[in-house]
Amino acid sequence: MSHAKLYTWIYVVLFVGATVQVGVEYAGLLEPGTYVAAVAAIIVLSLVKAVIVAAYYQHLRWEQRSLSYLMGMGLLAALALTIAASYSIT
Amino acid sequence: MPEPDDSNDDRDVQPDGGEPHADGGTVTDEDLPVDPPHEDEDDHGHGLPDMSSIKRWLVTTNHKDVGILYTVTAMFFLLFGGMLALLMRLQLWAPRAAGAGPLSAAAYNQAVSLHGLLMVFWFLSPFAFGFANYVVPLQIGAKDLAFPRLNAMSYWLYLASGILVGVSFFQSGAFPGGWTMYAPLNIPAYTPGVGATTSVLGLMLFTASVTIGGVNFITTMHRMRAEGLTMRRLPLFTWSILLTVWMMLFAFAALLAALIILSSDRILGTTYFAAQSAGGSLLWAHLFWFFGHPEVYIVFFPALGAMAEIFQTFTGRRIVGRKWFIGAMLLVAIQSFVVWMHHMFLTSINLPIKTLFMATTIGISLPFDLMVFALIYTMIKGRIRFTVPFLYAFGALFLFIIGGITGVFLGAVVLDYEFRGTYWVVAHFHYVMVGGVTALIGALYYWFPKMTGKMYDRFLGKLSFVLYFVGFNLLYFPMFVAWETPRRVFDYPEAFAPWHKLATIGAFVLGLSFLLTVYVIGKAVFVGEEAEDNPWAYSTTAEWAVPSPPPLENFPGLPSYGDGKLSFRPESAADGGEAAPDGGVAATEGATPAAHDDHEEEHVSHASIWPFVTGVAALFTFFGLSGIQNAQLIDGPWGMVHLAALVFGAVLGLGAFVAMGLEEFDAPTGPFGESWPFSSTSNTTTGMWVFLASDVVLFGAFIGSYVFIRVAFGWTAWEPIPHNSLPGLINTYLLLTSSFSVVLALVAAERNSTRGIVASMLVTLLLGIGFLVNKGIEWFELLHEGIWLSTNIRASTFFLTTGLHAAHVIVGLIIATYMIVRAWRGAYLDDEAPLEYFGLYWHFVDIVWLFLFPLFYII
Repeated sequence: MSHAKLYTWIYVVLFVGATVQVGVEYAGLLEPGTYVAAVAAIIVLSLVKAVIVAAYYQHLRWEQRSLSYLMGMGLLAALALTIAASYSIT
Repeated sequence: MPEPDDSNDDRDVQPDGGEPHADGGTVTDEDLPVDPPHEDEDDHGHGLPDMSSIKRWLVTTNHKDVGILYTVTAMFFLLFGGMLALLMRLQLWAPRAAGAGPLSAAAYNQAVSLHGLLMVFWFLSPFAFGFANYVVPLQIGAKDLAFPRLNAMSYWLYLASGILVGVSFFQSGAFPGGWTMYAPLNIPAYTPGVGATTSVLGLMLFTASVTIGGVNFITTMHRMRAEGLTMRRLPLFTWSILLTVWMMLFAFAALLAALIILSSDRILGTTYFAAQSAGGSLLWAHLFWFFGHPEVYIVFFPALGAMAEIFQTFTGRRIVGRKWFIGAMLLVAIQSFVVWMHHMFLTSINLPIKTLFMATTIGISLPFDLMVFALIYTMIKGRIRFTVPFLYAFGALFLFIIGGITGVFLGAVVLDYEFRGTYWVVAHFHYVMVGGVTALIGALYYWFPKMTGKMYDRFLGKLSFVLYFVGFNLLYFPMFVAWETPRRVFDYPEAFAPWHKLATIGAFVLGLSFLLTVYVIGKAVFVGEEAEDNPWAYSTTAEWAVPSPPPLENFPGLPSYGDGKLSFRPESAADGGEAAPDGGVAATEGATPAAHDDHEEEHVSHASIWPFVTGVAALFTFFGLSGIQNAQLIDGPWGMVHLAALVFGAVLGLGAFVAMGLEEFDAPTGPFGESWPFSSTSNTTTGMWVFLASDVVLFGAFIGSYVFIRVAFGWTAWEPIPHNSLPGLINTYLLLTSSFSVVLALVAAERNSTRGIVASMLVTLLLGIGFLVNKGIEWFELLHEGIWLSTNIRASTFFLTTGLHAAHVIVGLIIATYMIVRAWRGAYLDDEAPLEYFGLYWHFVDIVWLFLFPLFYII
């Protein structure tokens, strides 16, 4: 598959992914009972889309692995701050 | 020639009886491999005026010049912060009511706050980075940093930020709420002065300067090391700076987030840190200390690295347990990000998290123990020469041990309940931080002969140390004794007055020692003896293998450690010594093709006025911004002055960036042998990714703030501000499509299609504009409904976070417009790298939106 074709497919996947996220809301899943699962699904979808953009559009997949680790370090720092700070609330 | 060292006669003898060990190779036990020319002879011009010309210092981008600029400027801020300290100590001579001493109550609060801010930010780190700028490229075998213009820009932004803080004193007073700027004291309800805003903006500008510098140093130190100079063989000072800049990259990004939010609260009227906002004051403490604890090591590590170098040189002994010492520093750098809540034991955070952070805090003291013992054992194994640098470094170790031990008390929750807010804390962190200063003054005496080619009066240097050490302990030790004195206030129990009098006397003695140091080095600059290229026996690092001061491009050839010792190979373009543009998007085209095709020896550029102009522009822009409160200009003619400064600064800044992009400027590029772990990416690509990593933390801190506030508010009680997710979905489509069109621009460049590049970039531009228009309509409708960023905390998080993202979009669109014009003229066909760099940025902006959209529109 040529790169242009691959990029086009990725674009379609991202487009559909964003639509599905709103679909979760419109399907009424953000209600008690299914709320946690729906939020988890929406966040996971965002994560997957972000990884796809970074891997293909930003070419991380074809770069040295150290660049991926570098971004992972930034993400880890942000997550450490967010999770520990939120957990600290009495 | 005067005797260069107290014991230079035995330089061929290793006092520990061992083989000479090299930190990245050495030339100390033999003659220099070549006799490189001194600066004046070697200066090929490069558009750089003579050092006696003022213009030289305005246009220089050379790392050694920038290092000197940092060092001198930082010493000015030392005097500035020191004067404030002396005023405070005079006030504290006796416990007295407000206004009864030399300072009014308001002036005392400003002096306390700005003393802390100036010393921590504008003196300590920049002082260390003066040496880092000067020495690190020499130690790693590079001609300059990877992005010399960005290096100069870091300096000018630093100076502009410091001037802003100075200006803030004249705008109805500088920030008076303490150097930690705790919420809610930091919002206009409690600190309403324009000057307080200027202080905050000054710190924000300083943070920008640090981030740029961090990206530059990380790229340089990983990508541009000489052949054979593997990470394991890096000199210890270089190691300490490398870890410092990594900590800076992530920690200062969190501070930048905190300061953007605070500036927004002060300028636009958001309510993040308002007393009634959920989690408001606690949020500031988390953001500040997530930065603030790594900052302790950011400040101390360069001092530690300098101590290690000085100990090695003046004991004639390689540091004991070198790899463990490096490992310990690495461990501390990582651990520094998981101890921040020990600064918050007296806040409302829960007990389990306090216990966890007490454990991590005790844990971080262990690697320091190892480092301290390594230094002590190095002295035991070696033979000490009590030179001026060693005296300071040894004094620093002694002071740091006291500072470290007294800090362990504060890491224990129950003891901290007692000590928090007292002079115990003040004494402890001064023993640590000013302990670090002690080592850095040692570093000044150590590298001064290299930086100036002059030797100072050693007797006066030693006298300065005696004054320093006596003054230091006379100043800070009584604070441990009178520890129950409340911190930050000028009133205290009468019983402590004798101790405070002693401290005040100590402060003046310490101040005198600094003045003596300034005199000693000032005199040496003008009438000092000529220093040898290597005045210290047993120095092991590469800066001592070149003349004092080194020539403009440092080395007489391409440095190599391939055979275990420093040697210089003939330089040619094929060796990787080729010059390349330093990351300006358009500079790739700017460099004349003829210059690159010709394989004769090339020289990097060393002069550009645009970093200086950028600094001036930033000064005006940020001064202008300080005149806005609650999204309105302050009343009266000053409002118009601020507006004019803002517009002038913004236009000048934009012009400077465009001019820098168009300027022909060649920087050294790598790899020169060792470039782990970024061996297959260019300097600019590496720099872009490093910058994006800091941006991950910036946006991460914004999103983290949102999550934190929402948890404090009650997660499910929180309603998204937009009533409908469709505008957000449309914007997601627009951004995704614009990312796709950037990818197509790159594909068009690979196919050599100018029309394809222009069309794709034009589509990107239009989609980006569409995104902003859609957002504008949405915001306008919300405003129409009476919802604005000051309405409530939900609205504040929505408008500010998505607004910061929109600002990133606007910056991207400005760059895109510039690139379309250049593409139209045929650029990017031979070299699509600038399109790739733009893509990295634009896709990142896209990725951020992929998270903001569900968080602010759906959930």
